[in-house]
Amino acid sequence: MMEHILSLITFSPLLGVLLLLFVPRDKAGSIKLIGVLVTLIPLVLAFTMFAGFDSAQEGFQFVEDASWINIPLAEGVTVQFNYTLGVDGLSMPLVVLATIVALMSAIAAVNMIQKRWKEYFILFFLMQVGLFGVFTAQNLFLFFIFFEISLVTMFFLIGVWGLDKREDAAFTFLLYNGLGSAIMLISFIALLVNAGLVEGPAGIIYTTDMQTLTYNLTNPASPLFQAGQYSDVFLYGVFFALLVAFGIKLPLFPFHSWILKVHYQAPPPMSMILSGVLLKIGAYGLMRMEVGFFPSIAMEFSTMLLVLGIVNLLYGGILAFVQEDLKMVVVYSSISHMGIILMGIGAMNRLGFQGAIFQMVSHGFLSAIFFFIVGVVYTRVHTVKFEELGGMAKVMPFTSGILLTAGMASLGLPGMSGFISEFLSFLGVFENHPILAAVASIGIVLTSAYLLRAILSVTYGPTKEILVGMPDARLTEVIPMVVLLGFIILIGVYPAILSDPLQTTLQSFLIRIGG
Amino acid sequence: MVPLGGYLAVGAILFSIGVYGLLTKKNGIIVLLSIELMLNAVNVNLVAFSRFGIAANITGQIFSVFTITVAAAEAAIGLAILVAIFRNKATINASEIDIMKR
Amino acid sequence: MLANAWLIPLFPLISFVLLVAFGRQLKEGAAYVGILSLLASFVVAVGVFFERFAEGAHDYITSFDWLNIGDFVFTMGFEVNQLNAMMLIVVTLVSLMVHLYSKGYMHGDERFPVFYSYLSLFTFSMLMLVISPNLLQAYIFWELVGASSFLLIGFYFFKPSARAAAKKAFLTTRVGDLGIFIGISLLFWQTGTFEYAAIFEAAHSGVLSPEFITLTSILIFIGAVGKSGQFPLHIWLPDAMEGPTPVSALIHAATMVAAGVYLVARLFPLFEASATAMLTVAIIGGVTAIFAASIGLVQNDIKRVLAYSTVSQLGYMMMALGSAGYVAGVFHLFTHAFFKALLFLAAGSVIHSVGTQDIKEMGGVGKHMPITKIVFLIGALAIAGVPGLAGFFSKEEILIATYDSGNVVLFWLALTAAVMTAFYMFRLYFLTFSGTPRHENHHVHESPIFMTLPMIILAVLAIFSGYVVYAGFGEWLAHGVISGEEGEGHHTWIMVLSIAAAFGGIGLAYLLYGRNNKVSTAEPKGLHKLLFNKYYVDEFYGTTVIKPYTLFGYVLKFFDKYVIGGLVQFTAWIAVAIGRLGQRLQNGQVQAYSLVTILGLVILLLSMTAGRLW
Repeated sequence: MMEHILSLITFSPLLGVLLLLFVPRDKAGSIKLIGVLVTLIPLVLAFTMFAGFDSAQEGFQFVEDASWINIPLAEGVTVQFNYTLGVDGLSMPLVVLATIVALMSAIAAVNMIQKRWKEYFILFFLMQVGLFGVFTAQNLFLFFIFFEISLVTMFFLIGVWGLDKREDAAFTFLLYNGLGSAIMLISFIALLVNAGLVEGPAGIIYTTDMQTLTYNLTNPASPLFQAGQYSDVFLYGVFFALLVAFGIKLPLFPFHSWILKVHYQAPPPMSMILSGVLLKIGAYGLMRMEVGFFPSIAMEFSTMLLVLGIVNLLYGGILAFVQEDLKMVVVYSSISHMGIILMGIGAMNRLGFQGAIFQMVSHGFLSAIFFFIVGVVYTRVHTVKFEELGGMAKVMPFTSGILLTAGMASLGLPGMSGFISEFLSFLGVFENHPILAAVASIGIVLTSAYLLRAILSVTYGPTKEILVGMPDARLTEVIPMVVLLGFIILIGVYPAILSDPLQTTLQSFLIRIGG
Repeated sequence: MVPLGGYLAVGAILFSIGVYGLLTKKNGIIVLLSIELMLNAVNVNLVAFSRFGIAANITGQIFSVFTITVAAAEAAIGLAILVAIFRNKATINASEIDIMKR
Repeated sequence: MLANAWLIPLFPLISFVLLVAFGRQLKEGAAYVGILSLLASFVVAVGVFFERFAEGAHDYITSFDWLNIGDFVFTMGFEVNQLNAMMLIVVTLVSLMVHLYSKGYMHGDERFPVFYSYLSLFTFSMLMLVISPNLLQAYIFWELVGASSFLLIGFYFFKPSARAAAKKAFLTTRVGDLGIFIGISLLFWQTGTFEYAAIFEAAHSGVLSPEFITLTSILIFIGAVGKSGQFPLHIWLPDAMEGPTPVSALIHAATMVAAGVYLVARLFPLFEASATAMLTVAIIGGVTAIFAASIGLVQNDIKRVLAYSTVSQLGYMMMALGSAGYVAGVFHLFTHAFFKALLFLAAGSVIHSVGTQDIKEMGGVGKHMPITKIVFLIGALAIAGVPGLAGFFSKEEILIATYDSGNVVLFWLALTAAVMTAFYMFRLYFLTFSGTPRHENHHVHESPIFMTLPMIILAVLAIFSGYVVYAGFGEWLAHGVISGEEGEGHHTWIMVLSIAAAFGGIGLAYLLYGRNNKVSTAEPKGLHKLLFNKYYVDEFYGTTVIKPYTLFGYVLKFFDKYVIGGLVQFTAWIAVAIGRLGQRLQNGQVQAYSLVTILGLVILLLSMTAGRLW
């Protein structure tokens, strides 16, 4: 089973689609049950994978490689797209994260989705295929397909189950991300043509296999590298094109406006996925392709990445401070926290990378729990505006307590995951850019300011009338909160669980950037 | 004996008149007639080449017979369409037939 | 025993976990969980202390790898040295007293178990901070004590003032923590470690440049400034009195706020290596001491007076440390913890009974609360520096240290602050306990045994804890930390002066408030007004930091909405415009289409021919 575990993880949600086909659309109970139980399968599989992951082994593990599409161009020249899956220390934690957040999102949907459950869960299962596939794909072509699957399904999930202005939001989402994927596709083709060449016994093969590309682009032993035939236009062009493509996804400062609209309108379970997992694809892409394919250019522009990260951090932080409702604060805090990832990458050293990866995982859990709680509040009182809320701790002590704890984690309180990621990212930046790091650390105070303002105005103070008599979280609501918070604390207290599998992979990244 | 150039010149002139008519005339029937002109210009060329071509043979003439047949069929269909349009829109003015816009 | 020091923070942690899990079921029984765990901790702490105090004992240090990142190893662990052996006693003892006291004070509160769980969390964090063998661990628990302090200040979360105070406390200390964070990060990259010992070695072996040492020490000191309520980050501490009074006693008087002083003391070898840093510490301390004391002279809220007194006393400790008076500063930290906790608990007892915090509405309380009155008097005498009580010993040492450092201005500042301290404490005492009642509450009564017992214990300590100097406490503390012989000059005149300051302040207070026991109801004017409004520091921050920041936020919001959003709209508009333009071509005229086709054909043919001809 272990040799096919990645395919199993990726495609097991399809089982849910199959099952749902046989369930009448009005049997909401069974549909929800199937929705939750089938999502449990990839989670269990992912934990099996986590347990079986050998952190000492270099390169990719659980690799599956099958011949898939071969297009003969001419005699002895073939364009080859293989079905290749595999995980290393970078993608493995993200797969685990995705499975956890997906399950929590499924549980959240039980209460928060009020119509057309069958279609919802079918699309949701399809989207999971995309989510898990993106992190396991080892071929750019495959990566792109999975990426698009998640995009299109998300479009429908937002467009049908969102709030009042859902269509508008769905189109915004599709346009921005479609633009991003268009740029990405062009970059991939440029990579295929310029760097995907392998000469073998069967003649010349053009491929988008990531490892081949990495080898060709970075390894001094590769024939293409020795020939020095990469033009600057190609290298810098693709580097910046990918920066924009993944920057939109991240989202990077001037490209962030889609996330505002989309998060606001998306149904809470989808916000959890969007912010918890989809944004991480941007970060993952930056790490895997920008740093992985173009280490020397990334090194050259590390200060730029750093500054972009700091801009994101401060910009999101300041804007979050003046928002008038909890959801927008969470959205802007996402922008701000993504800045830390970028900063960690921009640090270009081990601690920075480590911090960035910690931040990916940590923010995945944190934003999921935030959007979930926002959803819990919204389903009760149909507003998350500060002026209408207050004193929630009195009527909903459990939810408020979790919200406060998550806020503390998000602002980097030790003992929880936010601290580790923030601390390591900043520490990494301090090595080479102490002044910039000091400037950026103002962001720590800003983060505390906006989070406390937001959370305290919802939970503390006199209880507003609208909240009186509201029930505290139900069992189906308690589970996601406790589980997500559990992981947040686990990483905060025992960070080695996440950092140990990463070391070998990080080493290979560092060798490429010459560190 | 008229040289090849003469036939080709006639063909070209006929074709150009046809194109001019096709592009400028508003009346649908005149447009159809212009198309006929263009086809006949082609016929002239075909016949001329079958006599003066490098490998002169009968193929060109046979081909022109085909063209005439096709042109007849085309004229018939064209006229039928025009009649249909006239019934619906009470006009055969080409500039008023712009339903492709939508 | 030393190897078992890790048990000390473990007990409160267990108690915290238990209370979080089963608090709802335990109800007020939660108090016993807290008290028993603290008692256990205290017993171990006493054992550890005496073992370390014994002749020929050595520091004990052990750690394990917490996080390995490549070659970087971050460790966690614990150590026992003179300083933290003493701190362990202070923290566990005061915490135990507060746990006992809260059983009476918080009785009937519906969030009683929550309160105890917060207390346990705080005690755990504080103990972990104290026994940290490295800066990273210290920083981690430094933040955690801040968080638990935040939770406890905001314990009455439904009060808007408590919410504001909690937020303010967290943010202000966070600003300070930034200093520590930057400081230790810089140190890490220069020394490659967070371990205290390795950093001290680097500082003294010349690996670190003097400028770098100055920079990092001052940065770390900023953190201490934030936590210990030193000027200019003192603003949160008086507001922190919104929390329940036992919390004020434990966190905002005896232990957490002293963490800043503790950190400077722990890093004393680093600070000592930079004269500039030492001077900064001394000046900030001195300024804070007099600044806060002067505000304390005119405040009317019993807890706020005590809060400013705390700020002032912490300034004293900082000043001592900055003047190279390591033992004096630490010793004052030790004694201050007891008498300040005592004063707060006594104040809490009064508030609990009278139902107000405004001293203008008290008076004559002593008649009904004899025990509280006596213990408060003891505390006041101790802090005023009356001979024979704890405060006298430590205060005198501080005065000597500042004098020996050669900074005359600081010395006189310290002395003035001493007069002020005596004055405001006795103003408080007279207005609260003596004279005739100015309140309508007829149910003023002595507090229950759970509250009086801890006060009595602390009162005993407030008297006798100073006598440890005769047991060689000072030399023991200094051993191995202070390189040279501490300037143990015998300045009898300083002692006389300090006694005179104490009695001068008390006498003045008696003249003004003790005899006639009247409170003026007139609006404060002039200097009085300036002091009453705390030098307008809050307002200053309001207009120079908070307002511009909020304004900037709104400007940026506008920017985000209209400039960035506008750019997006513009991009979309371009696409639409191109579409409109293209739409014109499609007019439905077949003739127009064919014109284009033919033109295209002609161009194609021409170009092909041209290509031939070339």
